[in-house]
Amino acid sequence: MSIIPQLIVNSIIAGAIYTLVALGFNLIYSTTKFFNLAHGAMAVVGGYVVFSLTRQLDFSLWLSIPVAILVAGVIGVLSDLLLFRKLRERKASSMILLVASLGLFTAIQAMIAILFTSQFQTLTTGASISTVYDVFGGAITQTQVVILATGLLIMAGIGLMLKYTKLGKAIQAVGDDEEVAKIVGIDTNKVIAIVFFIGSAIAGVAGLLVGFDTGLEPTMGLALLLKGIVAAIVGGVGSLYGGVLGAFLLGFVENFGIWHLSGEWKDAIAFVLLILFLIFRPQGIVKK
Amino acid sequence: MSNGTKTLLAIIVILILVWIGYAIVKSSPGEAPTTATSTEALKIGVILPLTGDAATYGEPGRNLFALALDEVNAAGGVNGQMLEFIYEDGKCNGPVAASAAQKLVAIDKVQIIIGGFCSSESLASIPVAESAKVAMFSPGSSSPDLTGRSMYFFRNYPSDASQGKILAEAAFNDKKWKTVAMLQEQTDFALGIRKVFETRFVELGGKIITEEFPSTASDFRSQLSKLRAAKPDALFLSLQTFAPTEKILKQLSDQKWAPNLLLSDVATSEELRTSRASQLEGALTAEFNTDPSNPKFSQMTSAYKAKYGVDVPYQGYAQTEYDAVYMVRDGLLAVGNSGEKFAAWGRTIKDWPGASGVITIGPDGDRAAGHVVKVIKAGKLENYSAVSATATSSPVVQ
Amino acid sequence: MEYLIHLAILFSIYAILGVGLNLVVGYTGLLSVTHAAFYGIGAYATAILSTVYDLNFFVTMLVGVVISGVVSLLIGLVLSRFDGDYYALAALGFNIIVYSIFLNWQSVTRGPLGIPGIDRPDFVSANWAFLIMSALFLIAIYYLAQYLGKSSFGRVLKAIREDERAIQVFGYQTHYYKLMIFVIGAMMAAVAGSIFAAYITFIDPSTFTLNESIFLLAIIILGGLANNKGAILGALFLILLPEMLRFVGFPTDIAAQMRQVVYGLLLVFLMLYRPQGLMGEYEL
Repeated sequence: MSIIPQLIVNSIIAGAIYTLVALGFNLIYSTTKFFNLAHGAMAVVGGYVVFSLTRQLDFSLWLSIPVAILVAGVIGVLSDLLLFRKLRERKASSMILLVASLGLFTAIQAMIAILFTSQFQTLTTGASISTVYDVFGGAITQTQVVILATGLLIMAGIGLMLKYTKLGKAIQAVGDDEEVAKIVGIDTNKVIAIVFFIGSAIAGVAGLLVGFDTGLEPTMGLALLLKGIVAAIVGGVGSLYGGVLGAFLLGFVENFGIWHLSGEWKDAIAFVLLILFLIFRPQGIVKK
Repeated sequence: MSNGTKTLLAIIVILILVWIGYAIVKSSPGEAPTTATSTEALKIGVILPLTGDAATYGEPGRNLFALALDEVNAAGGVNGQMLEFIYEDGKCNGPVAASAAQKLVAIDKVQIIIGGFCSSESLASIPVAESAKVAMFSPGSSSPDLTGRSMYFFRNYPSDASQGKILAEAAFNDKKWKTVAMLQEQTDFALGIRKVFETRFVELGGKIITEEFPSTASDFRSQLSKLRAAKPDALFLSLQTFAPTEKILKQLSDQKWAPNLLLSDVATSEELRTSRASQLEGALTAEFNTDPSNPKFSQMTSAYKAKYGVDVPYQGYAQTEYDAVYMVRDGLLAVGNSGEKFAAWGRTIKDWPGASGVITIGPDGDRAAGHVVKVIKAGKLENYSAVSATATSSPVVQ
Repeated sequence: MEYLIHLAILFSIYAILGVGLNLVVGYTGLLSVTHAAFYGIGAYATAILSTVYDLNFFVTMLVGVVISGVVSLLIGLVLSRFDGDYYALAALGFNIIVYSIFLNWQSVTRGPLGIPGIDRPDFVSANWAFLIMSALFLIAIYYLAQYLGKSSFGRVLKAIREDERAIQVFGYQTHYYKLMIFVIGAMMAAVAGSIFAAYITFIDPSTFTLNESIFLLAIIILGGLANNKGAILGALFLILLPEMLRFVGFPTDIAAQMRQVVYGLLLVFLMLYRPQGLMGEYEL
């Protein structure tokens, strides 16, 4: 069955993309305990900053990418400083935060559409064929390998940071119990702001990598985010490694699912998976 | 709720109502259909997708309408009266287009609407036009559902029925392809083409495998793998939106699969053809026949280039849009500004010479002519020879 | 005038949707982001039954309401196990699944081709007559919602919203109450769907997407949760807004996006400064 290797590769590619989104999302969720829908917008920002710098202002790629990641991170921090922190101070419920983040997401996405038009854009110029590797009969492009490698690197990096650095421990403390962390002397607001920066920067990376692999559209944020959330929940929300596991599980289920069903049910399959997990194992694969 | 809030609310609601009322009053002069003798411009409604996924068709569409309008007005309009277009955004969406039609009919009081462009726009707007006795004339809607749908509707763009059919015949009879895999976008347009292709291809003795996807999808890898595993002789991409088309072609080349390709007329987009020239080499597509040797056609393309600085995209639609404006003028000259009369006149059009060839509209409101198979060579569309004519009705204007 | 009638009909449809959703979200505090699915079920029921089987409009509406009730019962059974954010996500998932069904089950719904030529009952073929009919439905549903809110059933719901644990201690089966109101809200949405189908006479899946559900949520959050008048007000405002923008003369290529920016910022500012909405008595 010559299709299986390619399906496996496809699953891994999809899983890698979802991983990037889930990582940032989980980080923010574990400290702030709300579903930040604006996270999806950070990914779009990352992609479009690279686009605007390389295509419109002719900067080099090596400069544009770090700038884009920085910008995504900064916008993430701003969203915290200007909006979420204020709501947190008023002890707003997580639903209010959810709705506020939805509003922010909508507004940012629409502003990007105004600035860059809704037309589809690619980050690679024209149809330049990127190198394609053959893996046991499945084809994977260089960009996709980069996505996979980046995802795993970031996961490792964050894992190490959380375990071995002072900041990492502070993040975990805030995640466990914000009140206690404050009492112990941790500046929770600062920690949360940093988390927003890192999480949003990761989302920016996700966005620009997807831009290279598939292309950019202002509406790409929601789809990416939803899949990332499914991955995070299925894997165990708040857990770093869980998010990665969930992402790859989702990738596999989606791609093998359409092997026997028709491809048009792909989205439905992803959400059936989510709902099944919510019913039978709501804490996800990896308990936190 | 406090009294302060109540008052605030009341004020807001009143302001809104006043605003709308003012807008309505401001834009409603003439009532009954006028004969073309007043010096005020005659208003014609236009519905097309100015935003949304189909805006890639709508924006050049508006440019074309504006171009043709200028020409018509420069030539004296209709008996000296200038024409004016009122553009409304249909967003390629039924209810939105119906609202747009409602506004054009009730507030701008037009008697003729050029539109919709997408079939869903037309289908939803027709009831509105009908009840107001306003004529709708589409230069782009191709759904077979529109054939004979209403006495107030006709179109100078042919139904999908012809596009799918000739591609099936070319694929089976000429290319001898027995199994075709289809990847189809879930829009009315793409589905319509696929259905016709499938029916005809199977009728001729071929086999079809299909995968469908919603317009918002971006990961086609596994569907392509699945279709590839079926070892088809060719791959037919029945698509409408530009973004998925681009993604599919890229993912196709990522997987190192280069099958024989058939495409819906989304491939008539110049941007797509030039950016993917080598991948699309030899691919078959259908276009509502364009004939560069037709003087009106070449005049249109050069005028567009002169005014807008770029080549006119989607020539198959451009020619019918351009013709539509002139046909409206001719109709107005013939029967005056009456929706009912214009719609009836539309069905009497016979052998009208346009940029899109010779136009005849049948009693069912459809254009009696069809698509022609084209092949992509070096990024350009060329006529495809050796199309076996199995009872097609297309007068091929060479 | 015709145009105002047209707007009024659209408004009444959205007001019905708003009131129905308000019952669910406002009284239980759960973000049900799946309302568009039931809207769609009502619309498709009317569309299919009137085009294929030529049934009377009210019969089709009844069928739509029943189907919507059954489907919402099943979905609600699953949803009522969840709380807060998980509820919202699961609801979202259901919306996407139902939308997929509308799009893919082509033998029944004709998928993206949509269903044209839906009958409008003869006695309301004039728009003003149609408006009267839809207004009557709106009034009926409004009073039904008011009654439910003030009844003991409604009081239990409010108590659940404030503190579910406490109510469970008293022996109330909270699952049952949450489920009941969810089903009622879904049936109201189906009514709106039938009216919509008969008015526009053409439907396709694109009206019943997740975005629509989010839009409905914005309506009731703006208007104020748990307040039926608020839901109606929210619908009025959000229907009029795009129409007003039509006249403002934004360059058409950014008009739609500007509207999205406005919606988004509106939600943000509401959450910041007036989370209970214009007339609400309850914040999320």
